[in-house]
Amino acid sequence: MKQVTEGSQAVAEAVRLAKVQVIAAYPITPQTHVVEMISEYCANGTLNARFICVESEHSAMAAIIAAASSGVRTFTASSSHGLTYMHELLHWAAGARLPVVMVDVNRALGPGWNIWLDQTDSLSQRDTGWIQLYCEDSQDALDSTIMAYRLAETVNLPVMVVLDAFFLSHTYEPVDIPQQKAVDEFLPPFSPRFQLDTAHPVAFNQFVSPQAYMEMRYNIQLAMEQVPESYSRIAAEFEAVFGRRYPTVETWLCDDAEIILVTAGTTASTCRLAVDRLRAAGEKAGLVKLKMFRPFPVDALRQVLGAKPKVAVVDRNCSFGASGIFAQELRAALYNAESPPRIFGYIAGLGGRDVTPQTIEDIYRQTQNSDRPQNQNMWIGLDQKKVESWHNQT
Amino acid sequence: MTHNQPLNKPIPLFLPHSCASTELNKTGSWRYVRPLYDEKTSPCSAACPLGEDIAHIERLVACNLMRDAAQTLLIENPFPAVCGRVCFHYCETACNRARLDEAVAIRHLERFVGDMLVSDQSFAPVKAPAANGKKVAIAGAGPAGLAAAYFLSMLGYRCEIYEASAAPGGILRWGIPAYRLPSAVVEKEISRIETLGVTIHCRTRVSGEMLQTLKTRYDAVFIGCGLGRKIDLNIEGAQNAVDGLHFLSQIRSAKGPLLEEKRTAAVIGGGNTAIDVARSLVRLGVEPVIVYRRRRQDMPAFHPEVEMALDEGVRLKTLLAPIRIQVAGGGKAGRKFPYVLTLQKMKVSATEINGRARVIPDSTKTETLKTDLVFSAIGAEPASLWQINSAGESLQLELSHCKLIKDEIPVVCGGDLTNPVKSVSDAIASGKQAAIALDTCLKSGWNAVEKAVTDCRVGPGPAVSMAMYLGRERKNRNPHVVSYSEIKTHYFQTAHRAAVSVLSPQNRRQSFSPIESALSKEAAIAESRRCFNCGTCNACDVCRLFCPEMSVMVDAERRNINLDYCKGCGLCVAECPRNAMTLQEENI
Repeated sequence: MKQVTEGSQAVAEAVRLAKVQVIAAYPITPQTHVVEMISEYCANGTLNARFICVESEHSAMAAIIAAASSGVRTFTASSSHGLTYMHELLHWAAGARLPVVMVDVNRALGPGWNIWLDQTDSLSQRDTGWIQLYCEDSQDALDSTIMAYRLAETVNLPVMVVLDAFFLSHTYEPVDIPQQKAVDEFLPPFSPRFQLDTAHPVAFNQFVSPQAYMEMRYNIQLAMEQVPESYSRIAAEFEAVFGRRYPTVETWLCDDAEIILVTAGTTASTCRLAVDRLRAAGEKAGLVKLKMFRPFPVDALRQVLGAKPKVAVVDRNCSFGASGIFAQELRAALYNAESPPRIFGYIAGLGGRDVTPQTIEDIYRQTQNSDRPQNQNMWIGLDQKKVESWHNQT
Repeated sequence: MTHNQPLNKPIPLFLPHSCASTELNKTGSWRYVRPLYDEKTSPCSAACPLGEDIAHIERLVACNLMRDAAQTLLIENPFPAVCGRVCFHYCETACNRARLDEAVAIRHLERFVGDMLVSDQSFAPVKAPAANGKKVAIAGAGPAGLAAAYFLSMLGYRCEIYEASAAPGGILRWGIPAYRLPSAVVEKEISRIETLGVTIHCRTRVSGEMLQTLKTRYDAVFIGCGLGRKIDLNIEGAQNAVDGLHFLSQIRSAKGPLLEEKRTAAVIGGGNTAIDVARSLVRLGVEPVIVYRRRRQDMPAFHPEVEMALDEGVRLKTLLAPIRIQVAGGGKAGRKFPYVLTLQKMKVSATEINGRARVIPDSTKTETLKTDLVFSAIGAEPASLWQINSAGESLQLELSHCKLIKDEIPVVCGGDLTNPVKSVSDAIASGKQAAIALDTCLKSGWNAVEKAVTDCRVGPGPAVSMAMYLGRERKNRNPHVVSYSEIKTHYFQTAHRAAVSVLSPQNRRQSFSPIESALSKEAAIAESRRCFNCGTCNACDVCRLFCPEMSVMVDAERRNINLDYCKGCGLCVAECPRNAMTLQEENI
C-alpha cells in the first residue's frame, strides 16, 4: 500500500517489518526522525523490541554489538559526528562478524558546523569492514533496510544503509509499505551462527596471536568478496516478491553512451534528468548509479565502464589531498581494465550546496570539452571571486 | 577476486572464542588498592544533638520498613514524636540535599515515625534488659531526667524519678504551648518510658536533705531539675511583671490563667519563651507586643518561630530596654491601662561581645508603653540548691552535655543545668550522655568515662550514640562527615521537599490547635527517598553494576568484594553515589 511518507519514516517502517529486537541509538540531526519513530513504535507496542537509550553513539554501537552477540536482530542509526564517534566500534562489529544493520543519514562534518548533505561521514568508514548501500529515494531506503538484514545475516557482516540528509530523511513522497506477511516470507527470523548463551558459556573475541590474526582478517575479506554475489541473489529474490529491482550498479542509457556519469544517492535522480535532457539534445550521455560502495562492485563496473572513453564522477565528498572518494575508487577499479576510460573526478554539492540538472550538464560539457582531466579533482560551483582573492593576496 | 571458492558456498566463520572459564584468570592479583564498604557519618547525624542515625532511618522509611525505622530511632531518642514537633532541626540546616534543591524534611519524617509509635505502643516495643541490680535516683522529670531514666533502663538500671510538680514532662508539659506540642503526645512518650520499669514520684521535690538520703539508698544520682528560678528584671516595679514560664504552665494547668478583661500585654525578652508567651496571648484574645533590647536579628528565639508570631499578629518593638513598670494612676477617658512601661531607647555600639552586637543606651531617650499586662521572659537560672560551683567539690568531669561529680556515689548534673544550648533535644542528649557516663563509671571506674563517651561520639561529636555504646554495627562507622562535594549528584533528580499543611495565621489565632499537620505515609516515603543517605549503603547496587569483574557479591543483603577478582580499578568507589565506600592501598 502506497503511503506519502518521509524517508525517515520509511526506515522506521522497515525496522518494524524486519521485527528488529534491540535498538540502541542516540539522536542527531538529521537522523532524529528515524529513531524518534522507532522509539514510539517500541513505546506503543507496535514493535516488540527493546529500545536502549544511551549517552553516546559509541555506547549505542557497543550496546548493539552486545545485543547482536546474544543472537538478536539489531538496529541503530546515526549521522555525521555521531557516526564518526562510533568509528572504533564499527571495526569491532565487523571483526566480530555481527550482522548489525544501521542507517547513516549523510551529513557534513564540522567545523564549520553544518547539518546538510555531504557523503564524507559514511565514506570515511570505508575501511571498517561494513557493507555500504546508498539510497536514491525513500522506497529505496525502506527496501534496502529490509534487504540489509538478509544480506548481513547471510554473510555475517554489518550493513550500513546510507540516506542523503534532508533530501531523503525529511522529504515526503509516496512509498509502498509492504505487508508484514510478505516481509516475513522474504526475511525469516534471525538464526544466528553463533551467540552468547548462559546455558553454553563461551567467550568471544579475546586475544589473538600473530599466528591466527591474519587468517581472521582474510576470513573477513573472503566474506566481503562473496557479498556482490549474495546481494544479487537476495536482490533478485526481493524483486520476485516485491517487484522492485536494486542492482549493485544501476545503469541508465549506458549502452551507446560516450560519456557516463557516475554517482550515488539522490544525486542519481538529478543526473538521470540531466542525461535525459542531454539525450534529447542529441548527446550520448549515460548514467551509472552506485548502489553498493562496499564491497566496491569492481566486476560490474568493469563490465559497464571498461570500454568507455570518458567517465565523469560526481562526488559529494572529498578525501583531502587525494580526490573525491568515488572517483578514487573507480580509478583503482578500472586501472587494470583492457582500455580503461579517462576518469574525470568532480567535487560538487558539499555541505548541502545544491546540485542541479544544470550543474550536471556543466560537468558533462566540461568532460566533453577536455581531452583528459586537468587534475584529479575538479571543484564545481565554487565562488570564483572568493578563490581568486586568496590567490591574489600578497 | 582473489580466491577460488564457489561464490555461493558460505565460508566457515573464523572467530576467536573460548569455552574455558575466565575464572581461571584471578585478576585480583593485579590489585594494589582495594575497595571497602566503609560507611561514614552523615552531616545530619553529626549535627543532631542526639546523633540519630538519620541517613539509615530515611532509608528504612523509603523501603517502608517502618518498624525498623522506629526501632533505629528509639535507640537514640525516647521522644521522637515530641522532637518531630518541637526540635529546631539542626539536621536540616546541615543537610547536603539543601545544596541540590532543598533540605530533606527530616523533622516531619521524625514526627511521622514518632506518631506511628504514639498511635500504637506495640508497634515497636522497647524492651528492658535483665536488671543489673543497681539503682539510680533521678531528680526532675523533664526531658533530661526522663531520657536519663530511659537510657539507664536500657542498660539494666532500676530508675526512680522524683518530680516536684504534679505531673512529669517538665518543659514539655508546662512550657511548650499546645499548638506546638499537644499534651497527649507527651503523655504517650512518657508512658513508653514507664513501661521500661521507670517509677515517677510526682509532687516530690528533691531538697538538699533528701539528696543526702538518696545518696545512701542509690548507686548513682542524676540531677536534671532545670532552671527553676526566674531571672529578676531588676528594675523599678519588676514585681508587676508576670513570669512568662509560670504563665505558660498556667495555660497548661486545669485552671488556666485569669486574664479577665485584659486586652493588651507587653512581653519583655527575645527568646523562645517570649515568643511562646506572646503567641499564647494572641490565642487568648490579647494583643501582645514583644519588647526586646537588641535588634530582631539578635533575638535568641528560633527565627521561624519569630516569623510565625509576627504572622499571627504579635508586634515586635526592638532596641528598647525596660527601666520602670509603673502602676498607672488613671488614664484618659474611656480606657484605663493599669501599667505604664518606661523604655530606654538603645543603639548598636561599634563593639561586640562574644560575636554579638552590643547595645548601649541612646542618650537618655525614652518612650512609654501603656498596657494591661506585663510579662517577663528574660530567662531563668537554676534554683540555689543546684547552683553547683566547682569550688570545694571533689573530682569533677565536665562533658559536653553533663557534669559528673565524684561524691559518695557518682552524681551527674544534666539538662539545662549544664547544657550550653537549652533545647529539648540537647536535654535528651544530656540524659543519654549521663547514662553512658554513669554506666561506665559504675562498671569500669571514673577514669574510663571520658574515653567511653568519646568512643561513641557521632562524627566529631559532641552527640553520642547509644547504638554505638551498645556495640551495635553503627560503631564501625567512619567518623568522617560526608560533604556535598562527595555526593555524586548526577544520580539524583531534583524534587520538591514535602510540605505539610499549616493553619493560616487567622485560624491559628482562634485556638491552641496544632499548627502543622503530619505527613501521609505516601508523602513520608516519597520524602525519605529524597535523602542522599550520605555515607551509608542503601543497596542501590551502583557498585555492582559498574564492577567490570563482577566481583561485587551480595550475600544476605550485604555487599562484599570478591578479592580473587577485584583488580582494584576503583570504579565502584568512584561511582558510589553517597560515599559509602573507600579505596585503600594494599600492603604490598
